[in-house]
Amino acid sequence: MTGREVVDLIKKNVGVPWNEQSYRDTFKLGNPDSTVKGIAATVMVTFDMLKRANQAGLNMVISHEDTFWNDRDDTKDLTANPLYRMKTQYVLNNDMIIWRIHDHMHAMHPDFTVVGSLRSVGVKGGEDAVMRARVYTIPETTLGEFASQVKRLTGSRAFRCVGDPNVKVSKILLGPGYATPRMTAEADVVIGGEQQEADGGFDDVEYVADATSLGMAKGLIMLGHVISEQPGMEDLAKWMRTFIKGIPIEFVPAEEPFWT
Amino acid sequence: MDETHMLRRHFTLLAGTLIAGRVQLHGANALIAQDVAQRIQTALGGEWPPTGPDGFKAGDPDTPVKGIATTAMATLAVLKQASKAGTNLVLTYEPTFFGRHDGPAPPPAPASPGTNGRGAARGFFGLAADDPVYTAKKEFIEKNGLVVFRLRDHWQARKENDMTTGLAQSLGWTKYRVKPDDVLYDIPVATAEDTVALIRKKLNLRGGVRAVGDRKARVRRIMLHPGLMTPAIMWQRYEETDLIVAGEVREWENTHYAADIYTIGEKRGLVTIGRVASEDPGMRACAAWLGTVVNEVPVHWIMTGDLYWRAV
Repeated sequence: MTGREVVDLIKKNVGVPWNEQSYRDTFKLGNPDSTVKGIAATVMVTFDMLKRANQAGLNMVISHEDTFWNDRDDTKDLTANPLYRMKTQYVLNNDMIIWRIHDHMHAMHPDFTVVGSLRSVGVKGGEDAVMRARVYTIPETTLGEFASQVKRLTGSRAFRCVGDPNVKVSKILLGPGYATPRMTAEADVVIGGEQQEADGGFDDVEYVADATSLGMAKGLIMLGHVISEQPGMEDLAKWMRTFIKGIPIEFVPAEEPFWT
Repeated sequence: MDETHMLRRHFTLLAGTLIAGRVQLHGANALIAQDVAQRIQTALGGEWPPTGPDGFKAGDPDTPVKGIATTAMATLAVLKQASKAGTNLVLTYEPTFFGRHDGPAPPPAPASPGTNGRGAARGFFGLAADDPVYTAKKEFIEKNGLVVFRLRDHWQARKENDMTTGLAQSLGWTKYRVKPDDVLYDIPVATAEDTVALIRKKLNLRGGVRAVGDRKARVRRIMLHPGLMTPAIMWQRYEETDLIVAGEVREWENTHYAADIYTIGEKRGLVTIGRVASEDPGMRACAAWLGTVVNEVPVHWIMTGDLYWRAV
């Protein structure tokens, strides 16, 4: 099976009309007509992840995020960049193929990134979750205790919280990646991947800080992009196994990049 | 009716009757918020279009100014501190009302093709005019006679670039600047880990610090970039630096790049310290500058601080 044939099968099974205008969900590197020996599903096609996929004999990488460190994977300013050259050469020398699935994952029912993220922080009932965020109820706890649970379950070292750790919370609103939802009247805690910290469409950090100053029980947990969308890529790998037969399909995680 | 209430009521009536006579009440030289804004506009120059981010965001521009506070972000905690100190004009670098729109906003338009899953048009509704946090904050400002003015674009555009030199000063690195007008600093050699620890201590940071790269890498040349750093800036300059200190980045862009740099064995790191925390020192510098433009009333800086904490 070639890379192009793999993608055709995904398009056939994705369950939503394929948007040919998406600049994200395209081949990024390698020859789409090369034979696929194995597929690695990952949230972020980091160089480290690429090497691990190659060592495992998985030459097609299906990544949720970009390859060349900008959302459009625009490479016109990178042609002389040494890192760009090394990463590109590594992929070509090893006959690897990189294809991105982002927009269509967020349009799917369910959206595996949301399903996986809810599961990873211990919130139940999100098996059918879609991108449009909805409030989930957890047994009442404190923001601080909930954050400790998130730390224990995700293993993340670097996620950030805003709000008073002592307030009681039970209503959770989650959007992974850059889709951090805005705080609402119904929600106690917003969980996101990342969000511009200020001067954006809606600044949750300032909003939750001010709500806290007013004595309202509100909290914000920013998991980080990789930590928040990673779990759903395992679901994507499982889903692909249901219709792509005869080649290994593995979930290959990207590493949380931070130390603190 | 207690005495305070009576006094306040009397004062309100008095002020009400004298609204047209403000000049007599405060004297011909009473400095109002609008005067301060005009002086800032004259001193900084440039165009001040009503559609730009800079300008009055809350309170009455005709308010006589008792004192001025500069801050990175006018959180309610900052406003309370300003009010307590008898300061009634607050100059903020970042928005007051939770976003670029800086106030109630209509719901965004439906997502256009190709933007699915990311971008402004995500389908999240805007800030409602009756939002409880918005109305409480606005009420606090009005009840306490505060005036909030956003000063971002014009302060940032100043050729002296005090957002950067202010950050360098807070880190104790002023004398290490490599070239005038540039953002590189050669600090005494230390490991990345120790440098990050020093930054945390100097800026009083809590949960907002996150670093990428080799902890043990030898750091000498630093690039300071308060606020948001784009990938293009990082690609252009990372080879000149051992450690980039930025406010914030996009994790799937710059952080990804820094992670890849680490993988290929380069000893160049990235530390993000938080957008607001990175802008605090520059607004302290702004208070010092403002003191040269306005000398009738005290000007001081209020630290917004690192708003994040980390789970235990």
